[in-house]
Amino acid sequence: MLLDVKDIHKKYGEIEVLKGVSLTLARGETKVIMGPSGTGKSTLLRCINRLSPPTSGEVFLDGELICDANINEMRQKVAFVFQDFNLFLHLSALDNVAMGPMRLKGMKRAEARELAMQELERVGMQTHAASYPAQLSGGQQQRVSIARALAMKPEVILFDEPTSALDPELTGEVVTVMQKLASDGITMLVVSHEIGFARRAADAIIFMEGGHVIEEGPPEQIIGAPRQDRTREFLNVIAEEGQIS
Amino acid sequence: MIVEIIINHIPYLLDGLWVAIQLLVCLLAIGFVFGLLLALAEVYGHWTLRASGMAFERVFRGIPELVLILMCFYGVGNWYPIEPFPAAVLALGLRSTAYQSQIFRGVIQAVPKGQIAAARAIGMSGVQAVRYVVLPQALRQVPGPWSNEFSSELKATSLAYVIGVVELTRQGRYIISSTQGNILIVFAVVALMYFVVNWLGNRVLYRAERALEIPGLERRESD
Repeated sequence: MLLDVKDIHKKYGEIEVLKGVSLTLARGETKVIMGPSGTGKSTLLRCINRLSPPTSGEVFLDGELICDANINEMRQKVAFVFQDFNLFLHLSALDNVAMGPMRLKGMKRAEARELAMQELERVGMQTHAASYPAQLSGGQQQRVSIARALAMKPEVILFDEPTSALDPELTGEVVTVMQKLASDGITMLVVSHEIGFARRAADAIIFMEGGHVIEEGPPEQIIGAPRQDRTREFLNVIAEEGQIS
Repeated sequence: MIVEIIINHIPYLLDGLWVAIQLLVCLLAIGFVFGLLLALAEVYGHWTLRASGMAFERVFRGIPELVLILMCFYGVGNWYPIEPFPAAVLALGLRSTAYQSQIFRGVIQAVPKGQIAAARAIGMSGVQAVRYVVLPQALRQVPGPWSNEFSSELKATSLAYVIGVVELTRQGRYIISSTQGNILIVFAVVALMYFVVNWLGNRVLYRAERALEIPGLERRESD
């Protein structure tokens, strides 16, 4: 297994948000985590790359334990795409993408920019290379932030609700890019309610509720014939909200 | 006749102005370096650092500049011989450190939390995140509030007069003693010189503020 998440617990004071979550991700796989809000999906992703370290439990990448001692190297291999993009506000799209390779991988500026341009092309943002984040739409910013993640040549990319902060008409461009990455064989763990994306691109859907994994299975099965009532109820709710595409 | 006196004494006034500017540059530089360090300690430091930073800042913002200058010259002079100019730089530099730390703390804290999270998430250490992401954004916001500090410190340099630094105000005073009178006119010329430096400095800072603006985030003109 490329990514092996074992029995993650996360407590905030008295409140236990994650109550023992385990999952695995093989190289090249895409899994989508769904579930009601407040269920700990985003917390789980943040526990994996230790943006918010778990209270207990372990995460292995390619057999190596991710811990405080190696966290900065590990984060280069476990990229993270934020719900609200968090592009570096003082840098152009190109320099946002070039920043990591230049500052963390010791690439020369010209070389890093060349790589950054390739990654911007991959997400269809090459014509906006010189634009600053404030000059881009949400969907464009999110595509640049995906390019920023790709430029680190990570082993796996964690997506934390990448379309939730976008206006409905802007989610499509981001979903299209993510589908392309999934078919390119990028390993992805995605927290998202984009059923269309899950159906077309995911190898499995993981349904979470109340800090537990309720069920996991191939998209056809989870969407078509969920075993658990809770999963079915949840899918009905998001279907009513018109998110099924 | 008074015009003649002024013109004859312009070189002395310019000498004094030059001393005032040197004093200003030194104290602002001290305040910049230590104010920035103090702000970083106050925002990111261990609580002991935060507490001592805050204590320093409270003390030096709470004492009149004139008292500080007298303490640094006569007080420090008791143990260690100190010239008037370095004593004035020390006193005003410490005070400026306290004020500038507040400017820096404000702009550092104004950088959105997500910026650090994003830097950490690509594998930067905390120090790298501050160096490559937080400071480049925070320091761009400095010229605006800093222009206040510039103005008030320029005026404060005249207080070095009391410990015998021969700066602009003291040069003015010398001219008045040596030419018997003309108090108002001489000090008006002195005042004009402070005013011009102040005005030029603020113009430069305003330009800098404009040049450093992040495209797309510029402050809306109230038209």
